[in-house]
Amino acid sequence: MSAPLHPFSLGGNAYLVTGAASGIGRATSILLSAMGARLVLCDINVGGLEETKSQCSRSVTLLPLDLTRSSLIKDAMLEAVAGAGKLNGFVHAAGRPYISPLKSISEEKCTEVYALNTYAALELAKAFTNRNIYAGERGSIVLVSSVYALVGSAANVGYAMSKAALTGITKSLSIELAPKKIRVNCVAPGFIRTAMMDKAGALFNDEHSQLLEKMHPLGLGEAQDVAGAIAFLLSDASRWITGTILPVDGGFTAQ
Amino acid sequence: MEKFESGMAELLEVDTVDASDVLEGFEAWDSLTSLSIIAFIDENYGVSVSANDLVAAKTVGGLKDLVLTKAKKA
Repeated sequence: MSAPLHPFSLGGNAYLVTGAASGIGRATSILLSAMGARLVLCDINVGGLEETKSQCSRSVTLLPLDLTRSSLIKDAMLEAVAGAGKLNGFVHAAGRPYISPLKSISEEKCTEVYALNTYAALELAKAFTNRNIYAGERGSIVLVSSVYALVGSAANVGYAMSKAALTGITKSLSIELAPKKIRVNCVAPGFIRTAMMDKAGALFNDEHSQLLEKMHPLGLGEAQDVAGAIAFLLSDASRWITGTILPVDGGFTAQ
Repeated sequence: MEKFESGMAELLEVDTVDASDVLEGFEAWDSLTSLSIIAFIDENYGVSVSANDLVAAKTVGGLKDLVLTKAKKA
């Protein structure tokens, strides 16, 4: 397949998006669809997937899946690809927060967070590189990390562990998968207005919310602000970029 | 709920707590301890409380009553 005329176009390409039922995953799905991509939308939340599907510009394949059950990932992807066609890449946006000071950290919860936020990315990458799943050209993987992989924050060590590991995975896989013409990059979003943030925000007082706003010179972001950066990293416009951690944070980490 | 007092004592960094003890009066009381208490209550009693709930509960006993009330509703 020849490259599209416009380097930002995703026409003719196919991607899997995890966490597609809400937040960054949903916004990314809607944008990629509008840019011409065929999509497989993956999430454990079937109702949310249906809602995202209704906002996409073209037909999409739904893949309801619990990504913490890693042994199911490859077969589920093979089945999805049978309907949607081979993939050029995937976006791992699925994730969950874990706000807990060191005093109350739990091994069980850390393991759950790690399984979804971190290890699922490896299983997805492993399955994606299978010749029956990867289209063989213009490969691009984008992992969604967090500014808390790059800077510190109290009461966030379990989440930071899971997201910082994604930056190591990004660099390591970018080297390993370069011979297959698969680029691997990572975005590190700041605070955006999503359901996850609303849930986490309820734990704090109003003063904390105002402080968060001040920590972002450009203000809090929207999910589509991160989706734009992800679309760039999937497109040919970024074809010489791999192994990069791109903060998308309204200036949060510039300070 | 027998674990409640011992759990609170550990998080508030004292040997024992009384129902009448005021949460904000503990030397270890700060935003991180408050978050730890929220996590402790969620994990042990399956109840979600907010930072504002802790302030409103005022005392160790008040917080225990709140947890009991919320646990019954759940």
